[in-house]
Amino acid sequence: MIAVPAVRPRAGVHYWWDSYREMVRYDLASQRQWLPFLFVIQLLLSAGMAVLYGFYLPVIPPQLAAFIVTGTPALALIPIGFISVPQMIADRKLAGTYEFTLAFPVPRMADVLSSVTVYTAIALPGLAVALALSAWRYDVTLHPSPMFVPAVLLTAVTASAAGAAIGHAIGNPVITNVISNLLVFFVLLYAPIVFPAHQFPSWLAEVNRYLPFMNMATVLRSALLPGLAGDVTHAYLVLSVWAVVSLTICYQVISRRG
Amino acid sequence: MLLWHASSLRVWAVTTIVVEIMAGCGMVIGVGLLVPDISQTAALYCTTGTAVITLIMVGLIIGPQFIAQQRTDGTYEYLLGLPVPRTAAAFAWYTVCLVLALPGAVAALALGCWHYDLSLRVSPAVVPAVLLASFTATMLGYAVANAIERPMVTVILTQVVIFLAFGYAPINFPPDQMPHWLAEANRGLPFLPMATAVRHGLTPGFDNRLAESYAVLIAWAVGSALVAAIAIGRRR
Repeated sequence: MIAVPAVRPRAGVHYWWDSYREMVRYDLASQRQWLPFLFVIQLLLSAGMAVLYGFYLPVIPPQLAAFIVTGTPALALIPIGFISVPQMIADRKLAGTYEFTLAFPVPRMADVLSSVTVYTAIALPGLAVALALSAWRYDVTLHPSPMFVPAVLLTAVTASAAGAAIGHAIGNPVITNVISNLLVFFVLLYAPIVFPAHQFPSWLAEVNRYLPFMNMATVLRSALLPGLAGDVTHAYLVLSVWAVVSLTICYQVISRRG
Repeated sequence: MLLWHASSLRVWAVTTIVVEIMAGCGMVIGVGLLVPDISQTAALYCTTGTAVITLIMVGLIIGPQFIAQQRTDGTYEYLLGLPVPRTAAAFAWYTVCLVLALPGAVAALALGCWHYDLSLRVSPAVVPAVLLASFTATMLGYAVANAIERPMVTVILTQVVIFLAFGYAPINFPPDQMPHWLAEANRGLPFLPMATAVRHGLTPGFDNRLAESYAVLIAWAVGSALVAAIAIGRRR
């Protein structure tokens, strides 16, 4: 008698969950040399960014200090999603592992969501350290609410999904790197994350209402210091739309045959 | 060597000039948005500081990343094999970095002056200041790119350096807005002296400690050139 291995059905919740767990293992193992390095850099940059904004201001009124501190979590999550994720995908394209990974017999979204999970987990310690450091540096007392958890999750998922969409949709890895670097440059200076939107020309503030960056800061801020953030419902809505659109783009691109 | 660089960098050079102009102009306006009701002094710091950052960015960041890429694709060893003096190669590299950076720095300066309604009093001192600041930055980047063998490490290191120069060196703002110990530490590091020297050439009487700045810059330039020379001269 030849032992026939048990055949797993390639559908259903169990299959999806198993595939997802396997992909997380694969993502961790294939980047094991790089991830600890990224973890440390992310920790230093997040904390460093929160502190450096203060140097640019001659005086820091309490209202602005509160804005800087509550903007810190968004500063920690955005670069991981918009730089690290697309660069990881660009590296896979350069190394030739991209097609190899796509050939795995796993649901496509398990692949995408596993990257989102790994990179979100990498960002969280940096977020915590940066938040604690900036609250101490600017002497701001936070009142975190349980809404911080969904706010962090939605922000992280939206940032990583948008980053993954950039990485997957753009064929040339060099262009991916240029775009992700330009994006972060734009975000640090032209999106009101650590300062109120009314410091901006009104047209730029209006544009930012429909981009994800300010809205990420808004949902996180509202969960840290109630009353400081603007239109929270609008922010959750815009972020959800960006998350869904980005995940759809990822799905479309990686299920394209060619 | 100059010709070799110029022709091998055609596409890269045009992209770099465009990115430099965009980055310089983007920064000079963007930094102003951070500060509510920006004063004339702050605007002057921001405009001249952005010009300095744009000036040193090619030699310090984009250049080393380009050399890292040459290591990946093997051009690096080929270049070392060319029968030219190492110093000629280094000076050719410096010239390229300076020429690519200047349009961005001038654009940032012009846009900043127009946007914040500033008037500069440019003196001839700006010429040696720009040449020396750019030379020191380029030699620093050249040392990093030649001394570090793993391209990935070079890329990350240069990104950390520009982050520190932008955020933790008083280039875009007066040193007294930082903690005292950090401002003091910056006197011995290259970025504050670069800003001091160039700013003095653009608006005389603005910064003190000019002689000290030149001395520190020269020391960094010589030190970096030595590191680069040792790294290049090492036999493989």
